[in-house]
Amino acid sequence: MKRLIGLIIILTITLGVAYYVSQNLTPQKSLHPLGKFYLKNSYFGDYSAKSPEAVTSIVWDYRGLDTLFETAVFFIAIIGSLTLFRLSKEQSEEAKQGEPKRELPEPVCAVTKIIVAMILAVSASIALHGQLTPGGGFQGGSALAVAPLLIIAAYSKYALEKNGLDKTRAIIIRSIGLLGIALTALTPLLVKGYFMQNQPIFPGKALGAPLGGSLVYYNLFEYLAVGAGFTAVFLLLSIPEEKFRKFLGVKQ
Amino acid sequence: MSILLTLGAILILTGGICDLFGAIGLLKFPNFYVRLHAATVGTIGGAAVPLFGVTLLALGTDIPNKEAIAGASLITGMIILLVAPAGATALAYAAHKARIIEWKPKTDQLKEARK
Repeated sequence: MKRLIGLIIILTITLGVAYYVSQNLTPQKSLHPLGKFYLKNSYFGDYSAKSPEAVTSIVWDYRGLDTLFETAVFFIAIIGSLTLFRLSKEQSEEAKQGEPKRELPEPVCAVTKIIVAMILAVSASIALHGQLTPGGGFQGGSALAVAPLLIIAAYSKYALEKNGLDKTRAIIIRSIGLLGIALTALTPLLVKGYFMQNQPIFPGKALGAPLGGSLVYYNLFEYLAVGAGFTAVFLLLSIPEEKFRKFLGVKQ
Repeated sequence: MSILLTLGAILILTGGICDLFGAIGLLKFPNFYVRLHAATVGTIGGAAVPLFGVTLLALGTDIPNKEAIAGASLITGMIILLVAPAGATALAYAAHKARIIEWKPKTDQLKEARK
């Protein structure tokens, strides 16, 4: 009986709030002038970013500096975690010693293989179509980072390292991505543009597909950098506890 | 046209019923493994089946870009169909391996198979 009363109270409150909200919430009929500016200009107008996706053109063009510093904050966080797990050369060699083995039943591993291939394709499409559809470099990179995570869960981290994706390589890919972002931001200065300028320096179209000028390069490099940065952290986090105890000299 | 609509609507309704049964099962079943069964009823019956229903429903209507909607929901349904059993297997395997769940099976076929 007590539970029934609770249920009735919760139902009444929920339905009441839902009714109140539906009666009093009127949809917004007008746009802010700033929003109008972005919608008009992102593809057609005089201040065009040559990208039909207004959000990406705001993120990497109109407010590009903001995103640049957000990226910097994220990578400082990654560097922080890499520093926390700093190992000497011998130690990181020892952390790599181990046999790749199936850690989960066979059907799970088989599904993991299929899903990893799918995730690679989907994350690439999220990142590289960032100037056409919702999505972008960061989102695509985060999706990409799920693939190594699944492999670590199903086959252990040694499977990744035996196939050539170890911590050093991940950090190298991440640095290439960051370098790419920086170079794309600096390129306009060569032709007397300003920092992070997009149009008309970068080509707006290639083979009939809108590229959004510099947006596609930013998205591509951010994709690499975020995916590889997360992968490096996951590889460090998946070092078994016993090995860390040994490195740190903690008794069992 | 209308056959697709009806079929799709029936599949979506089935999904709702499966979700309800899954929720009741999660509350009422005695231990983790049987509850996992109820959860899988909720994901396969309550998520994958309605998505296939949406596929048929979208093909049966005249909305613009209906093929895109149908294709997207079909692929999402297939991915759930793949992933949900794998996740349930992994959970059950981990729980069995860690021996953290008390259970009194009438027959333990895994044990018999290992003998």
